[in-house]
Amino acid sequence: MTDAANTSNADRVLRHAGVDRAFHWLTAATVLTLLATGLLPVMGVKFSWVTIHWIAGVVLTAAVLFHLVRATFWQKLKCMWIGMRDLRDAIRHALPGKYSLAQKLMHHAMTLVILTAVATGLCMLAKVDTPWWKRNPYFFAADTWGIIYVLHGLAALTAVTLIMIHVYFALLPEKRLYLRAMWRGWITRAELAANHDPNRWQGQRDLRR
Amino acid sequence: MNFVRVSTDAWGQQVLEGISWDLLPVAVALGAIVIIGHAIYRAIRKSR
Repeated sequence: MTDAANTSNADRVLRHAGVDRAFHWLTAATVLTLLATGLLPVMGVKFSWVTIHWIAGVVLTAAVLFHLVRATFWQKLKCMWIGMRDLRDAIRHALPGKYSLAQKLMHHAMTLVILTAVATGLCMLAKVDTPWWKRNPYFFAADTWGIIYVLHGLAALTAVTLIMIHVYFALLPEKRLYLRAMWRGWITRAELAANHDPNRWQGQRDLRR
Repeated sequence: MNFVRVSTDAWGQQVLEGISWDLLPVAVALGAIVIIGHAIYRAIRKSR
């Protein structure tokens, strides 16, 4: 990490653009806020959590929509797709392209969890007084509300497990280059050569000062 | 351990309330098992 910090811009390649890093950390902040406001009351910590929870949910929804549009039209969806080659590479311990199989699996699992939480959370907004509408608990039938609550809770609990695993791997010494890349944007050319197949991902030249 | 919370409404019908919060420690335990499992695997690989 220290050696990497001493490298010049010429020795660095861009892994994550600033806008993608901002999306990642905004998502992290909103998901942690949502989990804290949703689960602390369950554990007996009583406070007025509903307003913080739904506002954080709306911010997360906006961030997810932005990412969906950006990933679809401005980024390569293929680099996140899981193919047979990813499975073969993982078994043979071959160097991956931009993302390893484990990173793709984590991304897809988090995508499923967050989309479930967002979709059910948007339905649950019908039960909350907001500046734009009054609550309507009869918007759905009781059985439908039950399914919505089960899916929302299941997404929350799965998120707890996934975040624990995600943070653990991000803090491993050999994976810290990816944590730095998510914070500062770049990895060094030496790290690129040691961890990625140059035929599948060369990074982008980082020209920032 | 229950997987869902169920209540009884004014007409005596059972109503689904949501996921059981008994599963919260299970979610934490699952995360801990993966972390500890990987840490052991990593330590064994390093020692070889």
